[in-house]
Amino acid sequence: MVVKAHPLWRNENEPSIAIGHAMTTIRSFMTDDHRRCDDLFADAEQAVAKKDFTLAGAAFGHFQSAMLAHFDSEEKTLFPTFEAKTGMSMGPTQVMRMEHVQLRALMNDAVDALKAGNSDDYLGLADTLVIMMQQHNMKEENILYPMCDQHLSDELPAVLERLETELCEE
Amino acid sequence: MQALLAFENAPPFAAPLRFFLTAPLFGVLAGLLIAFEGADVFASRWMPGALAATHLITVGFMLQVMLGALIQILPVVAGANLRQPLLIARLVHVGLSAGALMLAAGFLLGLPQLLGGGAVVLGMTVLAFLIVTAIALRGVPTTSPTIRGIKLSLFSLFAVVGLGIVMSLALAYGWPLPFSALTDLHAGWGLGGWAAVLLAAMAFVVVPMFQLTPGYPARSSWWFPIIMLAMLVVWSAALLLDLSVLARLGQLGAALAGIAFALQTMRLQAKRRRARPDATYRYWQLGLISSIFALFLLSTAALWPTAAELEGWTLVFGVLLVAGGFLPFITGMLYKIVPFLSWMHLQNTGQAKVPAPAMNKILAESGMHRQMLAYGLALILLLAAVFFPAWLARPAGLAFAVANGWLWWNLFSAIRRYRSHLADISRKLAAL
Repeated sequence: MVVKAHPLWRNENEPSIAIGHAMTTIRSFMTDDHRRCDDLFADAEQAVAKKDFTLAGAAFGHFQSAMLAHFDSEEKTLFPTFEAKTGMSMGPTQVMRMEHVQLRALMNDAVDALKAGNSDDYLGLADTLVIMMQQHNMKEENILYPMCDQHLSDELPAVLERLETELCEE
Repeated sequence: MQALLAFENAPPFAAPLRFFLTAPLFGVLAGLLIAFEGADVFASRWMPGALAATHLITVGFMLQVMLGALIQILPVVAGANLRQPLLIARLVHVGLSAGALMLAAGFLLGLPQLLGGGAVVLGMTVLAFLIVTAIALRGVPTTSPTIRGIKLSLFSLFAVVGLGIVMSLALAYGWPLPFSALTDLHAGWGLGGWAAVLLAAMAFVVVPMFQLTPGYPARSSWWFPIIMLAMLVVWSAALLLDLSVLARLGQLGAALAGIAFALQTMRLQAKRRRARPDATYRYWQLGLISSIFALFLLSTAALWPTAAELEGWTLVFGVLLVAGGFLPFITGMLYKIVPFLSWMHLQNTGQAKVPAPAMNKILAESGMHRQMLAYGLALILLLAAVFFPAWLARPAGLAFAVANGWLWWNLFSAIRRYRSHLADISRKLAAL
């Protein structure tokens, strides 16, 4: 089951995001999942702040698997559908895939730092990870997802259903 | 559309970097100027040294970083790609630096021709920047408060520079103008319409991003730029129509809008979810507290104009808002942006085959933290120097120069480390 992001943490920045359930779009659905990942990341940060590295490791593990599930749903479902429909295979989706590679590497390094109990290394990696992740999310939320909504209007119910299933399986 | 997200569209690192590395040097110059001129600088806001130092900081430091950051960020947050960003950066950087030096020298030496010349160089530079930015932003829909804020702030930039040019030419040619009221308005458009609106537009993105706070509420972030500009329009119209009560109402409105924004940001920062407060967060706290005090002074003076005639009132307001508010906000952001851009460029050079060092390996937290303490000390000395200029003006100037020199050293060291990692990564890539 996809846990809805707590309303406090939703991105209130974007007035065009449909509030409530009147209309689910790829943008609103995937943005909610970004916020859920942010929440899980924040749990790990709080544990590190308390110097509880066992808890931090577990919390970071949850965050990592949520992120990986998100990437997978994009790389296996959303991006191929978008590419097939628009013919843009070397465009924005390719850039997002490259950033996924960078984010995966950062998460692996952070896991290693947590295992070693090295909070300085972890905080440096977490800082990089946060900014990388947020600017990546910003590009998806403001540019790529709206493009998906625009180009995939016919496929929307089917795509959303598949995304929902994939993000629940994790 | 395809190219919108491409890394290739992020401008080369050299484009924004030249601005970021030059800005602290202007801070050093301003500090040295105060140390050299001594108590005279604090005698009144109209002293040649005070005007020169103010413009070294607002144009040489603030405008410098703001234009450099816009060149970097326009493609990312607005999808607005500047054509030939490196060429634009080079021209703007030279024009801005030369113009700021001429302007400051013109004020200091009392040479109206130099002053007018500096204003014209700055005016042409900013106009050129505005034209290329307008071309890049043409057709970009206003889908977020950030894009709206950027667009509106650029209008204010035009206003503040226009007013500056008119005043400097009036000084050069002896046109009779109400200089005192126009200077206030010039500062209002510059600090309120341009700097504060652009800062807010950036804050909507970077406060949640750097500190993992909730987002700004849609309504207030959508309206803040509009209210600020509306107040400045009211203030400007009141000046034209010679309605001083209305002008004060405009000032009050602008000050209250600023206070509301600062309080909102504090409220969000209180909900931040990062593990440890860092230099950026502390710099922002300093900036928010100083700005709130400064804007409280401004609102008081708008309601009760005689307050502004109290000894040191305007100087304290200026030091608090610019040295206590804007500079800490900007420095706090530079401390994230420079290491992040270093990391990003290294990461892309390594092509996921050779790993890039994390941000804290480029610029360590301890170095930033110590520089921040030095800056805090300089700020306290500057504020105290308003009241004890004979004793404290020179130490305050020196402390400000040292703190800015330290900022430069931190950023420069980060870039040196970036360069050595870059060479290292290229070597490793070639060996693969």
